Amino acid sequence: MTDRKVLVVDDEIHIVQVVAIKLRNNGFEVVTAENGAEALELVRSQHPDLVITDYQMPVMTGVELIENLRSDAEFVELPVIMLTARGFAIEDDKKARLNVAACLSKPFSPREVLQCVQDVLQQVSA
Amino acid sequence: MWAVAACGTAALVAAAAAGVGTAVLVVLGFPVVACLILTGLILLKTAAAIETLCAALEKPDSAYHFGEGSTLLKPLYTALRRLLEIHREGQHRQRSQDSEMVVRLQLLERQKKDTEAIIYSIRDSVLVTDASDRIIMANAAAERLFGFTLDRDQARRLDEVIRHPDFVRLVGRSIQSRTSHVRQELTFGDPRQPKTYDCIVSCVEDEKNAACGIVAVLHDITREKEISQMKNDFVSHVSHELKTPLASINAYAEMLVDGEAQDAETMQRFCTVIQTQAQRLNRLIEDILNISRIESGLIKVDKETCSVAILAQNAVEMIRSYAMEKSITIKVPAAIIHDQVLADKDMLTQVVINLLSNAVKYTPAGGMVEVDVEVDEVDCCVRLTVGDTGVGIPSDDLPYVFDKFYRVEANKKQAKGTGLGLNLVKQIVETVHGGRVFVTSVPQQGSTFGFTLPLAAERVALNV
Repeated sequence: MTDRKVLVVDDEIHIVQVVAIKLRNNGFEVVTAENGAEALELVRSQHPDLVITDYQMPVMTGVELIENLRSDAEFVELPVIMLTARGFAIEDDKKARLNVAACLSKPFSPREVLQCVQDVLQQVSA
Repeated sequence: MWAVAACGTAALVAAAAAGVGTAVLVVLGFPVVACLILTGLILLKTAAAIETLCAALEKPDSAYHFGEGSTLLKPLYTALRRLLEIHREGQHRQRSQDSEMVVRLQLLERQKKDTEAIIYSIRDSVLVTDASDRIIMANAAAERLFGFTLDRDQARRLDEVIRHPDFVRLVGRSIQSRTSHVRQELTFGDPRQPKTYDCIVSCVEDEKNAACGIVAVLHDITREKEISQMKNDFVSHVSHELKTPLASINAYAEMLVDGEAQDAETMQRFCTVIQTQAQRLNRLIEDILNISRIESGLIKVDKETCSVAILAQNAVEMIRSYAMEKSITIKVPAAIIHDQVLADKDMLTQVVINLLSNAVKYTPAGGMVEVDVEVDEVDCCVRLTVGDTGVGIPSDDLPYVFDKFYRVEANKKQAKGTGLGLNLVKQIVETVHGGRVFVTSVPQQGSTFGFTLPLAAERVALNV
Protein backbone atom coordinates (compact mmCIF):
# COMPACT_ATOMS: atom_id res chain seq x y z
CA MET A 1 0.00 0.00 0.00
CA THR A 2 2.98 2.32 0.22
CA ASP A 3 3.75 5.03 -2.26
CA ARG A 4 0.15 5.31 -3.43
CA LYS A 5 -0.50 8.86 -4.59
CA VAL A 6 -3.54 10.83 -3.36
CA LEU A 7 -4.70 14.22 -4.65
CA VAL A 8 -6.42 16.36 -1.97
CA VAL A 9 -8.61 19.21 -3.26
CA ASP A 10 -10.13 21.90 -0.99
CA ASP A 11 -10.17 25.69 -1.04
CA GLU A 12 -9.71 25.67 2.72
CA ILE A 13 -5.94 25.48 3.18
CA HIS A 14 -6.12 24.05 6.73
CA ILE A 15 -8.30 21.16 5.58
CA VAL A 16 -5.94 20.30 2.73
CA GLN A 17 -2.99 20.39 5.11
CA VAL A 18 -4.49 18.25 7.84
CA VAL A 19 -5.59 15.54 5.38
CA ALA A 20 -2.20 15.68 3.65
CA ILE A 21 -0.29 15.31 6.95
CA LYS A 22 -2.47 12.41 8.07
CA LEU A 23 -1.95 10.57 4.77
CA ARG A 24 1.77 11.33 4.54
CA ASN A 25 2.27 10.14 8.12
CA ASN A 26 0.69 6.88 7.01
CA GLY A 27 2.81 6.26 3.98
CA PHE A 28 0.98 8.02 1.17
CA GLU A 29 2.36 10.46 -1.32
CA VAL A 30 0.12 13.55 -1.43
CA VAL A 31 -0.43 16.32 -3.96
CA THR A 32 -2.82 19.22 -3.25
CA ALA A 33 -5.01 21.66 -5.18
CA GLU A 34 -7.33 24.46 -4.08
CA ASN A 35 -10.00 24.18 -6.77
CA GLY A 36 -11.36 21.81 -9.39
CA ALA A 37 -9.52 23.37 -12.34
CA GLU A 38 -6.16 23.10 -10.60
CA ALA A 39 -7.00 19.53 -9.60
CA LEU A 40 -7.86 18.55 -13.19
CA GLU A 41 -4.42 19.65 -14.34
CA LEU A 42 -2.73 17.74 -11.51
CA VAL A 43 -4.70 14.57 -12.29
CA ARG A 44 -3.40 14.72 -15.85
CA SER A 45 0.18 15.49 -14.91
CA GLN A 46 0.56 13.53 -11.66
CA HIS A 47 -1.73 10.52 -12.25
CA PRO A 48 -2.87 10.05 -8.62
CA ASP A 49 -4.38 6.73 -7.49
CA LEU A 50 -7.23 8.47 -5.69
CA VAL A 51 -8.79 11.95 -5.38
CA ILE A 52 -10.33 13.47 -2.23
CA THR A 53 -12.36 16.57 -3.09
CA ASP A 54 -14.54 19.21 -1.46
CA TYR A 55 -17.82 20.16 -3.19
CA GLN A 56 -18.16 23.93 -2.96
CA MET A 57 -15.03 25.56 -4.34
CA PRO A 58 -14.33 28.66 -6.41
CA VAL A 59 -13.50 28.43 -10.13
CA MET A 60 -14.59 24.76 -10.46
CA THR A 61 -16.67 22.79 -7.96
CA GLY A 62 -15.97 19.23 -6.87
CA VAL A 63 -18.89 17.89 -8.91
CA GLU A 64 -17.69 19.73 -12.02
CA LEU A 65 -14.24 18.24 -11.44
CA ILE A 66 -15.66 14.69 -11.26
CA GLU A 67 -17.84 15.29 -14.35
CA ASN A 68 -14.72 16.36 -16.21
CA LEU A 69 -12.81 13.30 -15.03
CA ARG A 70 -15.61 10.92 -16.05
CA SER A 71 -15.76 12.41 -19.54
CA ASP A 72 -12.14 11.42 -20.05
CA ALA A 73 -11.75 7.68 -20.81
CA GLU A 74 -8.47 7.58 -18.93
CA PHE A 75 -10.05 8.69 -15.64
CA VAL A 76 -13.45 7.01 -15.80
CA GLU A 77 -12.45 4.58 -13.07
CA LEU A 78 -10.26 6.92 -10.97
CA PRO A 79 -11.55 6.53 -7.37
CA VAL A 80 -12.96 9.74 -5.89
CA ILE A 81 -13.95 10.47 -2.26
CA MET A 82 -16.04 13.56 -1.54
CA LEU A 83 -15.41 15.50 1.65
CA THR A 84 -18.08 18.15 2.04
CA ALA A 85 -19.75 20.42 4.57
CA ARG A 86 -23.00 20.29 2.66
CA GLY A 87 -25.65 18.75 4.81
CA PHE A 88 -27.17 16.84 1.92
CA ALA A 89 -23.83 16.12 0.17
CA ILE A 90 -24.94 14.83 -3.24
CA GLU A 91 -27.96 12.82 -4.20
CA ASP A 92 -27.55 9.06 -4.40
CA ASP A 93 -28.31 8.88 -8.12
CA LYS A 94 -25.72 11.57 -8.84
CA LYS A 95 -23.23 9.77 -6.62
CA ALA A 96 -23.79 6.57 -8.59
CA ARG A 97 -23.70 8.34 -11.95
CA LEU A 98 -20.44 10.08 -11.09
CA ASN A 99 -19.05 6.85 -9.65
CA VAL A 100 -18.16 8.47 -6.32
CA ALA A 101 -16.57 5.86 -4.06
CA ALA A 102 -17.56 7.50 -0.75
CA CYS A 103 -18.95 10.70 0.75
CA LEU A 104 -17.60 12.00 4.04
CA SER A 105 -19.13 15.01 5.75
CA LYS A 106 -17.42 17.88 7.55
CA PRO A 107 -16.60 18.14 10.40
CA PHE A 108 -14.64 14.96 9.73
CA SER A 109 -12.19 12.70 11.48
CA PRO A 110 -8.75 12.42 9.77
CA ARG A 111 -8.70 8.85 11.11
CA GLU A 112 -11.87 8.05 9.15
CA VAL A 113 -10.52 9.71 6.03
CA LEU A 114 -7.40 7.55 6.23
CA GLN A 115 -9.50 4.42 6.77
CA CYS A 116 -11.76 5.32 3.87
CA VAL A 117 -8.80 5.92 1.53
CA GLN A 118 -7.31 2.56 2.49
CA ASP A 119 -10.64 0.75 2.01
CA VAL A 120 -11.32 2.29 -1.38
CA LEU A 121 -7.85 1.54 -2.69
CA GLN A 122 -8.10 -2.03 -1.42
CA GLN A 123 -11.41 -2.50 -3.26
CA VAL A 124 -9.88 -1.15 -6.45
CA SER A 125 -6.84 -3.43 -6.31
CA ALA A 126 -8.90 -6.47 -5.26
CA MET B 1 -133.80 69.79 -14.13
CA TRP B 2 -134.81 71.20 -17.56
CA ALA B 3 -132.46 74.07 -17.02
CA VAL B 4 -129.79 71.49 -16.92
CA ALA B 5 -130.90 70.05 -20.22
CA ALA B 6 -131.17 73.50 -21.88
CA CYS B 7 -127.61 74.41 -21.22
CA GLY B 8 -126.48 70.84 -21.89
CA THR B 9 -123.79 71.62 -24.46
CA ALA B 10 -122.18 74.42 -22.46
CA ALA B 11 -122.27 72.30 -19.35
CA LEU B 12 -120.71 69.38 -21.22
CA VAL B 13 -117.77 71.53 -22.33
CA ALA B 14 -117.31 72.92 -18.82
CA ALA B 15 -117.60 69.56 -17.23
CA ALA B 16 -115.20 67.92 -19.72
CA ALA B 17 -112.33 69.48 -17.87
CA ALA B 18 -113.75 68.33 -14.54
CA GLY B 19 -114.25 64.77 -15.64
CA VAL B 20 -116.28 62.40 -17.69
CA GLY B 21 -118.40 61.43 -14.70
CA THR B 22 -119.67 64.98 -14.22
CA ALA B 23 -120.44 65.42 -17.90
CA VAL B 24 -122.53 62.26 -18.04
CA LEU B 25 -124.27 63.32 -14.87
CA VAL B 26 -125.12 66.74 -16.30
CA VAL B 27 -126.49 65.37 -19.57
CA LEU B 28 -128.39 62.35 -18.38
CA GLY B 29 -129.72 63.62 -15.11
CA PHE B 30 -128.41 62.91 -11.71
CA PRO B 31 -130.56 60.13 -10.19
CA VAL B 32 -129.98 57.65 -13.01
CA VAL B 33 -126.25 57.81 -13.23
CA ALA B 34 -125.40 58.66 -9.63
CA CYS B 35 -125.28 55.05 -8.57
CA LEU B 36 -123.28 54.04 -11.66
CA ILE B 37 -120.75 56.76 -11.07
CA LEU B 38 -120.50 56.00 -7.41
CA THR B 39 -119.84 52.35 -8.16
CA GLY B 40 -117.35 53.33 -10.84
CA LEU B 41 -115.58 55.65 -8.48
CA ILE B 42 -115.41 53.03 -5.80
CA LEU B 43 -113.99 50.58 -8.30
CA LEU B 44 -111.59 52.99 -9.83
CA LYS B 45 -110.82 54.83 -6.63
CA THR B 46 -110.34 57.84 -8.74
CA ALA B 47 -109.78 60.49 -6.15
CA ALA B 48 -109.60 63.30 -8.67
CA ALA B 49 -113.08 62.43 -10.03
CA ILE B 50 -114.62 62.30 -6.57
CA GLU B 51 -113.05 65.65 -5.77
CA THR B 52 -114.53 67.10 -8.96
CA LEU B 53 -117.93 65.67 -8.26
CA CYS B 54 -118.00 66.98 -4.71
CA ALA B 55 -116.86 70.40 -5.89
CA ALA B 56 -119.64 70.44 -8.49
CA LEU B 57 -122.26 69.54 -5.87
CA GLU B 58 -121.05 72.20 -3.46
CA LYS B 59 -121.01 74.96 -6.06
CA PRO B 60 -123.76 77.50 -5.12
CA ASP B 61 -124.79 78.10 -8.74
CA SER B 62 -124.65 74.46 -9.62
CA ALA B 63 -127.78 73.21 -11.24
CA TYR B 64 -127.84 70.30 -8.83
CA HIS B 65 -126.82 72.32 -5.84
CA PHE B 66 -128.78 70.94 -2.99
CA GLY B 67 -130.79 73.76 -1.79
CA GLU B 68 -134.15 73.62 -0.10
CA GLY B 69 -135.88 70.26 -0.41
CA SER B 70 -133.15 68.49 -2.30
CA THR B 71 -133.52 65.47 -0.12
CA LEU B 72 -132.28 63.10 -2.80
CA LEU B 73 -128.90 64.71 -3.32
CA LYS B 74 -127.87 65.27 0.25
CA PRO B 75 -127.33 61.61 1.28
CA LEU B 76 -125.53 61.04 -1.98
CA TYR B 77 -123.26 63.95 -1.31
CA THR B 78 -122.62 62.70 2.22
CA ALA B 79 -121.78 59.28 0.83
CA LEU B 80 -119.40 60.80 -1.70
CA ARG B 81 -117.72 62.87 0.98
CA ARG B 82 -117.29 59.79 3.15
CA LEU B 83 -115.90 57.90 0.20
CA LEU B 84 -113.46 60.69 -0.43
CA GLU B 85 -112.35 60.72 3.20
CA ILE B 86 -111.84 56.96 3.19
CA HIS B 87 -109.93 57.28 0.00
CA ARG B 88 -107.79 60.09 1.37
CA GLU B 89 -107.05 58.15 4.54
CA GLY B 90 -106.05 55.13 2.48
CA GLN B 91 -103.95 57.28 0.28
CA HIS B 92 -102.25 58.84 3.27
CA ARG B 93 -101.56 55.42 4.78
CA GLN B 94 -100.21 54.18 1.45
CA ARG B 95 -98.00 57.22 1.13
CA SER B 96 -96.52 56.77 4.59
CA GLN B 97 -96.00 53.06 3.90
CA ASP B 98 -94.39 53.92 0.61
CA SER B 99 -92.03 56.42 2.15
CA GLU B 100 -91.14 53.95 4.88
CA MET B 101 -90.41 51.39 2.18
CA VAL B 102 -88.27 53.88 0.27
CA VAL B 103 -86.24 54.65 3.41
CA ARG B 104 -85.77 50.94 4.04
CA LEU B 105 -84.74 50.34 0.46
CA GLN B 106 -82.27 53.21 0.63
CA LEU B 107 -80.88 51.81 3.85
CA LEU B 108 -80.51 48.36 2.32
CA GLU B 109 -78.92 49.82 -0.78
CA ARG B 110 -76.52 51.77 1.42
CA GLN B 111 -75.66 48.69 3.49
CA LYS B 112 -75.12 46.70 0.31
CA LYS B 113 -72.84 49.39 -1.06
CA ASP B 114 -70.93 49.58 2.23
CA THR B 115 -70.44 45.81 2.25
CA GLU B 116 -69.39 45.86 -1.38
CA ALA B 117 -67.00 48.73 -0.71
CA ILE B 118 -65.45 46.73 2.13
CA ILE B 119 -65.08 43.62 0.00
CA TYR B 120 -63.81 45.66 -2.94
CA SER B 121 -61.15 47.36 -0.88
CA ILE B 122 -59.79 44.08 0.56
CA ARG B 123 -56.27 43.51 -0.70
CA ASP B 124 -56.95 39.79 -1.02
CA SER B 125 -58.88 38.56 -4.02
CA VAL B 126 -62.46 37.61 -3.20
CA LEU B 127 -64.68 35.72 -5.61
CA VAL B 128 -68.21 34.38 -5.07
CA THR B 129 -70.19 31.96 -7.23
CA ASP B 130 -73.79 30.78 -7.05
CA ALA B 131 -75.12 27.20 -7.07
CA SER B 132 -74.73 27.07 -10.88
CA ASP B 133 -71.04 27.97 -10.68
CA ARG B 134 -71.69 31.45 -12.05
CA ILE B 135 -69.55 34.29 -10.76
CA ILE B 136 -71.84 36.68 -8.93
CA MET B 137 -69.23 38.77 -7.20
CA ALA B 138 -65.53 39.47 -7.64
CA ASN B 139 -63.60 42.31 -6.07
CA ALA B 140 -61.06 44.46 -7.90
CA ALA B 141 -58.13 42.31 -6.71
CA ALA B 142 -59.81 39.16 -8.04
CA GLU B 143 -60.55 40.81 -11.39
CA ARG B 144 -56.92 41.86 -11.67
CA LEU B 145 -55.58 38.45 -10.62
CA PHE B 146 -57.77 36.44 -12.98
CA GLY B 147 -57.78 39.07 -15.73
CA PHE B 148 -61.49 39.55 -16.29
CA THR B 149 -64.19 42.12 -15.70
CA LEU B 150 -67.29 40.98 -13.89
CA ASP B 151 -70.43 41.39 -15.98
CA ARG B 152 -73.05 42.24 -13.40
CA ASP B 153 -75.97 41.80 -15.78
CA GLN B 154 -74.93 38.47 -17.15
CA ALA B 155 -73.19 36.20 -14.67
CA ARG B 156 -70.89 33.76 -16.46
CA ARG B 157 -69.72 30.36 -15.38
CA LEU B 158 -66.44 30.21 -13.45
CA ASP B 159 -64.76 27.78 -15.87
CA GLU B 160 -65.66 30.02 -18.83
CA VAL B 161 -64.07 33.08 -17.31
CA ILE B 162 -61.15 31.75 -15.30
CA ARG B 163 -58.29 30.20 -17.20
CA HIS B 164 -56.54 28.63 -14.26
CA PRO B 165 -57.28 24.87 -14.26
CA ASP B 166 -55.83 24.29 -10.78
CA PHE B 167 -58.04 26.96 -9.26
CA VAL B 168 -61.15 25.71 -11.08
CA ARG B 169 -60.35 22.19 -9.82
CA LEU B 170 -59.97 23.52 -6.28
CA VAL B 171 -63.41 25.12 -6.47
CA GLY B 172 -64.83 21.84 -7.82
CA ARG B 173 -63.24 20.00 -4.91
CA SER B 174 -64.82 22.44 -2.45
CA ILE B 175 -68.29 21.89 -3.87
CA GLN B 176 -67.93 18.13 -4.03
CA SER B 177 -66.34 17.64 -0.62
CA ARG B 178 -68.80 20.04 1.06
CA THR B 179 -66.24 20.54 3.83
CA SER B 180 -66.10 23.94 5.48
CA HIS B 181 -63.12 24.89 3.32
CA VAL B 182 -60.37 23.58 1.08
CA ARG B 183 -56.97 25.19 0.89
CA GLN B 184 -54.10 25.08 -1.59
CA GLU B 185 -51.09 27.16 -2.54
CA LEU B 186 -51.29 28.07 -6.22
CA THR B 187 -49.02 30.07 -8.48
CA PHE B 188 -50.26 32.80 -10.80
CA GLY B 189 -48.86 35.19 -13.37
CA ASP B 190 -45.68 35.20 -15.39
CA PRO B 191 -44.00 31.76 -15.03
CA ARG B 192 -40.61 33.48 -14.89
CA GLN B 193 -41.74 35.53 -11.90
CA PRO B 194 -44.61 33.54 -10.46
CA LYS B 195 -46.67 34.84 -7.58
CA THR B 196 -47.82 32.41 -4.94
CA TYR B 197 -51.31 32.64 -3.43
CA ASP B 198 -52.80 30.88 -0.46
CA CYS B 199 -56.25 29.98 -1.83
CA ILE B 200 -59.06 29.17 0.58
CA VAL B 201 -62.36 28.09 -0.96
CA SER B 202 -65.34 27.84 1.40
CA CYS B 203 -68.66 26.28 0.56
CA VAL B 204 -71.65 28.57 1.14
CA GLU B 205 -74.75 26.78 2.43
CA ASP B 206 -78.32 28.04 2.54
CA GLU B 207 -80.72 27.63 5.50
CA LYS B 208 -81.50 24.10 4.35
CA ASN B 209 -77.78 23.22 4.37
CA ALA B 210 -77.74 22.92 0.60
CA ALA B 211 -74.66 24.19 -1.22
CA CYS B 212 -75.57 27.48 -2.85
CA GLY B 213 -72.13 28.48 -4.07
CA ILE B 214 -68.60 29.13 -2.92
CA VAL B 215 -66.56 32.04 -1.68
CA ALA B 216 -62.88 32.00 -2.59
CA VAL B 217 -60.29 34.17 -0.85
CA LEU B 218 -56.80 34.34 -2.38
CA HIS B 219 -54.00 35.82 -0.29
CA ASP B 220 -50.67 36.77 -1.90
CA ILE B 221 -47.91 34.97 0.01
CA THR B 222 -45.13 35.58 -2.52
CA ARG B 223 -43.14 37.76 -0.13
CA GLU B 224 -43.56 35.33 2.77
CA LYS B 225 -42.36 32.51 0.51
CA GLU B 226 -39.34 34.57 -0.53
CA ILE B 227 -38.48 35.35 3.08
CA SER B 228 -38.91 31.71 4.01
CA GLN B 229 -36.65 30.71 1.10
CA MET B 230 -34.11 33.32 2.18
CA LYS B 231 -34.19 31.95 5.70
CA ASN B 232 -33.65 28.41 4.41
CA ASP B 233 -30.78 29.59 2.23
CA PHE B 234 -29.40 31.50 5.19
CA VAL B 235 -29.50 28.46 7.44
CA SER B 236 -27.87 26.41 4.70
CA HIS B 237 -25.17 29.06 4.12
CA VAL B 238 -24.54 29.68 7.77
CA SER B 239 -24.35 26.00 8.66
CA HIS B 240 -21.84 25.55 5.84
CA GLU B 241 -19.86 28.53 7.10
CA LEU B 242 -19.97 27.29 10.68
CA LYS B 243 -18.93 23.79 9.71
CA THR B 244 -15.81 24.89 7.86
CA PRO B 245 -13.87 26.27 10.88
CA LEU B 246 -15.42 23.59 13.06
CA ALA B 247 -14.06 20.93 10.70
CA SER B 248 -10.52 22.33 11.11
CA ILE B 249 -10.81 22.53 14.90
CA ASN B 250 -12.09 18.98 15.08
CA ALA B 251 -9.51 17.53 12.68
CA TYR B 252 -6.48 19.25 14.21
CA ALA B 253 -7.58 18.34 17.74
CA GLU B 254 -7.85 14.70 16.69
CA MET B 255 -4.39 14.90 15.08
CA LEU B 256 -2.96 16.15 18.38
CA VAL B 257 -4.71 13.39 20.31
CA ASP B 258 -3.43 10.76 17.84
CA GLY B 259 0.14 12.06 18.12
CA GLU B 260 0.29 13.00 14.44
CA ALA B 261 2.24 16.18 15.29
CA GLN B 262 5.66 14.68 15.24
CA ASP B 263 7.65 17.68 16.48
CA ALA B 264 7.11 20.72 18.68
CA GLU B 265 6.88 23.04 15.72
CA THR B 266 4.11 21.00 14.08
CA MET B 267 2.29 20.76 17.39
CA GLN B 268 2.50 24.55 17.70
CA ARG B 269 1.12 24.93 14.16
CA PHE B 270 -1.81 22.62 14.90
CA CYS B 271 -2.67 24.58 18.05
CA THR B 272 -2.52 27.87 16.16
CA VAL B 273 -4.93 26.54 13.53
CA ILE B 274 -7.37 25.47 16.24
CA GLN B 275 -7.13 28.91 17.82
CA THR B 276 -7.60 30.94 14.62
CA GLN B 277 -10.47 28.75 13.45
CA ALA B 278 -12.19 29.14 16.81
CA GLN B 279 -11.85 32.91 16.43
CA ARG B 280 -13.28 32.72 12.91
CA LEU B 281 -16.22 30.75 14.24
CA ASN B 282 -16.76 33.36 16.92
CA ARG B 283 -16.65 36.23 14.38
CA LEU B 284 -19.34 34.57 12.30
CA ILE B 285 -21.58 34.03 15.31
CA GLU B 286 -20.99 37.65 16.38
CA ASP B 287 -22.00 38.87 12.90
CA ILE B 288 -25.26 36.97 13.06
CA LEU B 289 -25.99 38.13 16.59
CA ASN B 290 -25.09 41.76 15.86
CA ILE B 291 -27.44 41.99 12.91
CA SER B 292 -30.15 40.43 14.99
CA ARG B 293 -29.48 42.82 17.89
CA ILE B 294 -29.42 45.92 15.69
CA GLU B 295 -32.61 44.88 13.97
CA SER B 296 -34.40 44.30 17.23
CA GLY B 297 -32.96 47.52 18.71
CA LEU B 298 -31.34 45.63 21.57
CA ILE B 299 -27.72 46.52 20.85
CA LYS B 300 -25.85 48.67 23.35
CA VAL B 301 -24.30 51.60 21.51
CA ASP B 302 -21.42 53.44 23.16
CA LYS B 303 -20.72 56.54 21.07
CA GLU B 304 -17.67 58.72 21.51
CA THR B 305 -15.79 61.21 19.38
CA CYS B 306 -13.23 59.42 17.22
CA SER B 307 -11.10 60.03 14.15
CA VAL B 308 -12.19 58.01 11.12
CA ALA B 309 -8.67 57.95 9.60
CA ILE B 310 -7.07 56.60 12.80
CA LEU B 311 -9.82 54.04 13.17
CA ALA B 312 -9.27 52.96 9.54
CA GLN B 313 -5.51 52.67 10.12
CA ASN B 314 -6.12 50.34 13.08
CA ALA B 315 -8.58 48.26 11.07
CA VAL B 316 -6.03 47.85 8.26
CA GLU B 317 -3.51 46.47 10.78
CA MET B 318 -6.05 43.87 11.88
CA ILE B 319 -6.59 42.63 8.33
CA ARG B 320 -2.98 42.88 7.12
CA SER B 321 -2.00 39.24 7.70
CA TYR B 322 -5.01 38.07 5.67
CA ALA B 323 -4.04 40.42 2.82
CA MET B 324 -0.43 39.24 2.95
CA GLU B 325 -1.56 35.61 2.49
CA LYS B 326 -2.86 36.71 -0.92
CA SER B 327 0.01 39.13 -1.61
CA ILE B 328 -2.41 42.03 -1.70
CA THR B 329 -1.11 45.51 -0.90
CA ILE B 330 -3.27 47.75 1.29
CA LYS B 331 -2.77 51.49 0.97
CA VAL B 332 -3.43 53.07 4.37
CA PRO B 333 -5.09 56.47 4.71
CA ALA B 334 -2.96 59.31 6.04
CA ALA B 335 -4.04 60.82 9.34
CA ILE B 336 -6.03 64.00 8.71
CA ILE B 337 -7.30 66.70 11.03
CA HIS B 338 -10.90 67.45 11.89
CA ASP B 339 -12.27 64.08 10.79
CA GLN B 340 -13.98 63.31 14.09
CA VAL B 341 -17.35 61.61 14.14
CA LEU B 342 -19.53 60.54 17.03
CA ALA B 343 -19.46 56.76 16.79
CA ASP B 344 -19.26 53.46 18.57
CA LYS B 345 -15.60 52.63 17.95
CA ASP B 346 -15.97 48.84 18.04
CA MET B 347 -18.91 48.87 15.68
CA LEU B 348 -17.30 51.27 13.23
CA THR B 349 -14.09 49.21 13.31
CA GLN B 350 -16.20 46.19 12.44
CA VAL B 351 -17.61 48.13 9.44
CA VAL B 352 -14.13 48.99 8.11
CA ILE B 353 -12.88 45.43 8.68
CA ASN B 354 -15.86 44.00 6.81
CA LEU B 355 -15.25 46.33 3.85
CA LEU B 356 -11.52 45.54 3.89
CA SER B 357 -11.92 41.77 4.15
CA ASN B 358 -14.43 41.83 1.28
CA ALA B 359 -12.00 43.85 -0.82
CA VAL B 360 -9.21 41.34 -0.12
CA LYS B 361 -11.53 38.36 -0.62
CA TYR B 362 -12.69 39.45 -4.08
CA THR B 363 -9.35 40.74 -5.33
CA PRO B 364 -7.04 38.29 -7.13
CA ALA B 365 -3.59 37.64 -5.61
CA GLY B 366 -1.15 40.49 -6.19
CA GLY B 367 -3.93 43.08 -6.34
CA MET B 368 -4.32 46.35 -4.50
CA VAL B 369 -6.75 47.71 -1.90
CA GLU B 370 -6.84 51.42 -1.19
CA VAL B 371 -8.44 53.05 1.85
CA ASP B 372 -9.17 56.76 1.67
CA VAL B 373 -10.69 59.18 4.19
CA GLU B 374 -11.74 62.74 3.40
CA VAL B 375 -13.72 65.49 5.07
CA ASP B 376 -16.57 67.10 3.17
CA GLU B 377 -16.82 70.59 4.68
CA VAL B 378 -19.87 71.48 2.61
CA ASP B 379 -22.01 68.53 3.68
CA CYS B 380 -20.39 68.39 7.14
CA CYS B 381 -19.52 64.73 6.79
CA VAL B 382 -16.57 62.36 6.66
CA ARG B 383 -16.29 59.98 3.71
CA LEU B 384 -14.38 56.69 3.87
CA THR B 385 -13.86 54.58 0.75
CA VAL B 386 -12.30 51.16 0.22
CA GLY B 387 -11.35 50.62 -3.40
CA ASP B 388 -10.06 47.35 -4.83
CA THR B 389 -8.74 45.93 -8.10
CA GLY B 390 -10.99 42.89 -7.75
CA VAL B 391 -13.60 41.06 -9.80
CA GLY B 392 -16.15 43.87 -9.63
CA ILE B 393 -19.94 43.58 -9.46
CA PRO B 394 -22.38 43.51 -12.40
CA SER B 395 -24.54 46.67 -12.43
CA ASP B 396 -27.75 44.63 -12.04
CA ASP B 397 -26.54 43.35 -8.69
CA LEU B 398 -25.37 46.70 -7.30
CA PRO B 399 -28.69 47.85 -5.78
CA TYR B 400 -28.94 44.65 -3.75
CA VAL B 401 -25.43 44.06 -2.41
CA PHE B 402 -26.30 45.52 1.01
CA ASP B 403 -29.37 43.28 1.35
CA LYS B 404 -29.25 40.55 3.92
CA PHE B 405 -28.27 37.12 2.51
CA TYR B 406 -27.75 38.60 -0.96
CA ARG B 407 -24.78 37.21 -2.78
CA VAL B 408 -23.65 38.20 -6.26
CA GLU B 409 -24.29 35.08 -8.35
CA ALA B 410 -21.38 35.77 -10.71
CA ASN B 411 -18.95 36.03 -7.79
CA LYS B 412 -20.22 33.13 -5.69
CA LYS B 413 -17.46 30.88 -6.94
CA GLN B 414 -14.88 33.52 -6.15
CA ALA B 415 -15.20 33.27 -2.41
CA LYS B 416 -17.39 31.92 0.33
CA GLY B 417 -19.61 34.17 2.37
CA THR B 418 -22.82 34.31 4.34
CA GLY B 419 -24.29 37.36 2.66
CA LEU B 420 -24.28 39.05 6.07
CA GLY B 421 -21.14 41.21 6.10
CA LEU B 422 -22.40 44.10 3.97
CA ASN B 423 -25.80 44.05 5.61
CA LEU B 424 -24.08 44.49 8.94
CA VAL B 425 -22.10 47.42 7.45
CA LYS B 426 -25.33 49.06 6.32
CA GLN B 427 -27.09 48.47 9.62
CA ILE B 428 -24.23 49.92 11.66
CA VAL B 429 -23.67 52.95 9.41
CA GLU B 430 -27.27 53.83 8.68
CA THR B 431 -29.40 52.50 11.53
CA VAL B 432 -26.96 53.10 14.38
CA HIS B 433 -25.00 56.16 13.17
CA GLY B 434 -27.33 57.96 10.74
CA GLY B 435 -24.82 57.81 7.88
CA ARG B 436 -25.07 56.44 4.32
CA VAL B 437 -23.39 53.52 2.58
CA PHE B 438 -22.60 53.50 -1.14
CA VAL B 439 -20.95 51.38 -3.80
CA THR B 440 -19.64 51.82 -7.33
CA SER B 441 -18.14 49.06 -9.43
CA VAL B 442 -16.81 48.13 -12.85
CA PRO B 443 -16.82 44.38 -13.55
CA GLN B 444 -13.31 42.94 -13.96
CA GLN B 445 -11.77 46.23 -12.82
CA GLY B 446 -12.79 46.62 -9.22
CA SER B 447 -15.27 48.02 -6.72
CA THR B 448 -15.34 50.95 -4.33
CA PHE B 449 -17.40 50.58 -1.18
CA GLY B 450 -17.74 53.37 1.32
CA PHE B 451 -19.81 55.39 3.75
CA THR B 452 -20.37 58.93 4.92
CA LEU B 453 -20.92 59.85 8.55
CA PRO B 454 -21.93 63.24 9.94
CA LEU B 455 -19.08 65.22 11.54
CA ALA B 456 -19.15 65.29 15.34
CA ALA B 457 -21.30 68.17 16.63
CA GLU B 458 -18.46 70.23 18.16
CA ARG B 459 -16.60 70.11 14.86
CA VAL B 460 -19.67 71.36 13.01
CA ALA B 461 -20.02 74.09 15.61
CA LEU B 462 -16.40 75.14 14.95
CA ASN B 463 -17.09 75.44 11.24
CA VAL B 464 -19.96 77.78 11.94
